[in-house]
Amino acid sequence: MSEQRNLILAIVLSVGIILAFQYFYEAPRMRERQAEAERSAATQVVPGSEAPAGQIPGAGGAPVPGQPMTREQALAQSPRVRIDNGTVHGSIALKGGRFDDVTLAHYHETVDPGSPEIVLLSPPGSPNPYFAEFGWVAGDASIAVPGADTLWQAEGERLTAKDPVTLRWDNGQGLSFAKRVELDPDYMFTVKQSVTNNSDKPVTLYPYGLVSRWGTPHTLGYYILHEGPIGVFDGSLQEYKYSAVAKEGQVQFDSTGGWMGITDKYWLASLVPQQDLALKGGFRHVAEGDRYQADYRGAPVTVAPGQTVELTNRLFAGAKVVTLLDQYAKSLNIPLFDRAVDFGWFYFLTKPIFYLLHWLHAVVGNYGVAILILTLLVKAAFFPLADRSYRAMAKMKALQPEMQKLRERYGDDKVRMNQELMNLYKREKVNPVSGCLPIFIQIPVFFSLYKVLFVTIEMRHAPFFGWIKDLSAPDPTSIFNLFGLLPFTPPHMLMIGVWPLIMGFTMWLQQKLNPQPPDPTQAKVMQFLPVMFTFLFATFPAGLVIYWSWNNALSIAQQWAIMKRMGVKAT
Amino acid sequence: MSVAARLLALLVTAYRWLISPLLGVNCRYCPSCSEYAIEALRAHGAVRGGWLAVRRLGRCHPWGGHGYDPVPPAAAERGRS
Repeated sequence: MSEQRNLILAIVLSVGIILAFQYFYEAPRMRERQAEAERSAATQVVPGSEAPAGQIPGAGGAPVPGQPMTREQALAQSPRVRIDNGTVHGSIALKGGRFDDVTLAHYHETVDPGSPEIVLLSPPGSPNPYFAEFGWVAGDASIAVPGADTLWQAEGERLTAKDPVTLRWDNGQGLSFAKRVELDPDYMFTVKQSVTNNSDKPVTLYPYGLVSRWGTPHTLGYYILHEGPIGVFDGSLQEYKYSAVAKEGQVQFDSTGGWMGITDKYWLASLVPQQDLALKGGFRHVAEGDRYQADYRGAPVTVAPGQTVELTNRLFAGAKVVTLLDQYAKSLNIPLFDRAVDFGWFYFLTKPIFYLLHWLHAVVGNYGVAILILTLLVKAAFFPLADRSYRAMAKMKALQPEMQKLRERYGDDKVRMNQELMNLYKREKVNPVSGCLPIFIQIPVFFSLYKVLFVTIEMRHAPFFGWIKDLSAPDPTSIFNLFGLLPFTPPHMLMIGVWPLIMGFTMWLQQKLNPQPPDPTQAKVMQFLPVMFTFLFATFPAGLVIYWSWNNALSIAQQWAIMKRMGVKAT
Repeated sequence: MSVAARLLALLVTAYRWLISPLLGVNCRYCPSCSEYAIEALRAHGAVRGGWLAVRRLGRCHPWGGHGYDPVPPAAAERGRS
């Protein structure tokens, strides 16, 4: 009976939360987007303003019907210039002048350093096309501009940190186009795109850039992590889910400079236009081929006869290493570039916590140990607060039998019971606990810690002791095959590893030390929580589970010591 | 209760079930802030009840009061307005 009621309540609760979310969060956002769509629809009359929408490249490179190509076959469709700066491997396609082949030398698919490099960008025709390009759209359709099938001439053998490569193309009507590509030792390509007008008429062109990704990528689907189109327009960060862009079709923003691209948990491909360029940028989705695109189109540039116009654009294609993003933000003046890492609402907390963790890692050399030390530091900072509330809790725990008696006697008369309870506190000299405020202060800090561990690339493939070879992956062991003794792999749901079990145990132990909540339903839910959390945490990165277990263990130790000193029995 | 008050009360209930057990018992007041919030929402509706709950949370800090602090009865308010 009571179980049934619980179930119904739980369902009602979930629906309520979803409704509230819709009402308070989604609805205003949707209205905003609608207004935005109307605004941009109103400006569509400007000639050429629909471009580069109509210019989505690869219309000629659409997947070949019948036989899908492998990545290698797709790469072979165009002559190429190699890219190798030791950090980025790949090539530039001379057909189309695209960046459509980038792999990351320092990041591998699995913990094994012999495993393939992470593939970031791939050409059209391959299983997961994902590429970037810069170009020009002509205001006058009779002017030939380079397109998806344009074959560029390369000057330079190989793009490295020392050697730039220049691509050239002449349209045969007196316009010569060039892209001078430089690459730094890390992930930033600098693309100087220029037009020289050798004709006798002035020409008006719109510069554009785009990052295109075909097929909706598999996302982790966690609420606390953004994956998908992302950008900064006029200093404001815009993050859209794939599904949101697919629904809207197109979202646009006016901006001067900024950046826009597509992000994964750890990787980013982003355009960084010349920062003084007035532009209209945003994200769009084309149903045909399920293509997502982040792009911009700059204000028109008029090139007088005999004149050359040059724009300096950049493309970031690589791993979201926070220190590197910060360095780019500063040296290249890219606004809010570090926000490509999803530091969330508590940026002011998550960012410093990240740097502290980063520093600890540099000192101790093991990311897991750095997490343990950081947790210890945070605990130490909150020591006085926790000390006070644990003292009060210990006293309350000691009084529990008497409270139970009161409840039995005055259970029906709430007012009377509360008064008696307060009298009891007074008699036994229970100091009031600190109240809600200290908790409210701690929640953001611990949430931030959690968030940092979740989002930063430093944890990826970072080992801990024993069987944990990758702190960012779930604990690979499972109790259901006796931690590997039995020769079978349990289903995903039952992959309950050693660390999640330790976590569940510490949680249970901590509950034993706390006084029971007064409400019997709540008390029941509470007993069930460690089990629920064990299952939940089994799917989380091991680093998080270790942090949580360690945090619990520290709390228990502190609480235990206080109770012992005050002579309260622990169970 | 109005729809809005009901929704807010649901959120508080969700907190009581899912989050509160993780934080331990820290109440200076009786009834606890969450109990107070639900009672206030029931007796005074979303706006005034919500405001009462926020004010109660505001009192719940190391330098605030403690002890028995019930929701003011709804009758008094009806008399006033």
